[in-house]
Amino acid sequence: MSKMVKTGVFVLLLLTVMVLPAMNVYSQEDMRAVDSSAFDCPIRPPAVFAHDDHNDTAGIDDCARCHHLFDDNGRKIEDESSEDQSCADCHAQEDKGTVPGLRKAFHWNCKGCHLQQRTGPVTCGECHVKK
Amino acid sequence: MTSLYAFVAGPLAWAAFLFFFGGLCYRLLSMLRQVRQSEPFIFSYMSLRYSLRSILHWLIPFFAMGWRRNPILTGVTFIFHISLIAAPVFIVSHVVLWDEAWNLSWWTLPDAVVDVMTLVVVAACLFFALRRVLRPEVRFVSDASDYLLLVLTAAPFVTGFLAYHQWPAGPWMTIAHMVSGELLLALIPFTRLRHMLSGWLTRAYIGSEFGAVRHARDW
Repeated sequence: MSKMVKTGVFVLLLLTVMVLPAMNVYSQEDMRAVDSSAFDCPIRPPAVFAHDDHNDTAGIDDCARCHHLFDDNGRKIEDESSEDQSCADCHAQEDKGTVPGLRKAFHWNCKGCHLQQRTGPVTCGECHVKK
Repeated sequence: MTSLYAFVAGPLAWAAFLFFFGGLCYRLLSMLRQVRQSEPFIFSYMSLRYSLRSILHWLIPFFAMGWRRNPILTGVTFIFHISLIAAPVFIVSHVVLWDEAWNLSWWTLPDAVVDVMTLVVVAACLFFALRRVLRPEVRFVSDASDYLLLVLTAAPFVTGFLAYHQWPAGPWMTIAHMVSGELLLALIPFTRLRHMLSGWLTRAYIGSEFGAVRHARDW
């Protein structure tokens, strides 16, 4: 094998290794935890959350159940969802008017639903599992 | 389990706060009634100035002669009480719950600081228990209720420490933490832990008598 082919194969392999994890970000099957990268200084481990397994178990088909959209008056817009956006696009670090801050939004969304449905984790350590 | 959590965080928490605040109000009224019945003249010399003077002087560690007599006990007492109050009030995990339930929030202490304070509370409870066993003059006036009160006080801190460090993993330690904390709150007015209220009144009374009647210092 010529040196050029060897270099080519190496570069391709390197690219694959670099690009694969980036592609996984968009593949919900591989999501194992809530994305906490938007927090300025996260003080707990990211909440465990296997997106597809969770929704299979919970029987959730409607994306807007979590990926909701609200109008300026704080009313939920039915039939519209926001999975093309990041949670942090709307939810800042702190509360802003009627829009809860990111931490509060996550807690209300997850824990709030679990309490309503009387199933799912609700104590701190069940979601923020230390490694 | 989620239903159990909902019960412990809901009705049981309300009951605990009701017993705590209601019980303290009841204690305050019954103390005032008792004074009016048996020693009403005390009200004639109660003074806000001398009450606060006494309280402030006794709030400073090692300032009062009474604090200097047993320096080790005094030191442990101060860091115990400061940690006992500050840890649960300023821990992030609790402030987050207040914020999400009532939109109330205030500044917080770093987890590492609260972790140390929690250990301080538990260690101080052990110190107080050991003191009751080892010191003859204290053993003489101690009975089972004294040790039970120390267990009652230490329990939410032991379980809180374990729940935070996730030993063991899962919800049960957190549930135990909540129940033991609620039990402690509810029992404060109905045990000698009510000194959390009566202690201030005792100082106010003694301060007023020494200031307004005897014209002497009470520290």
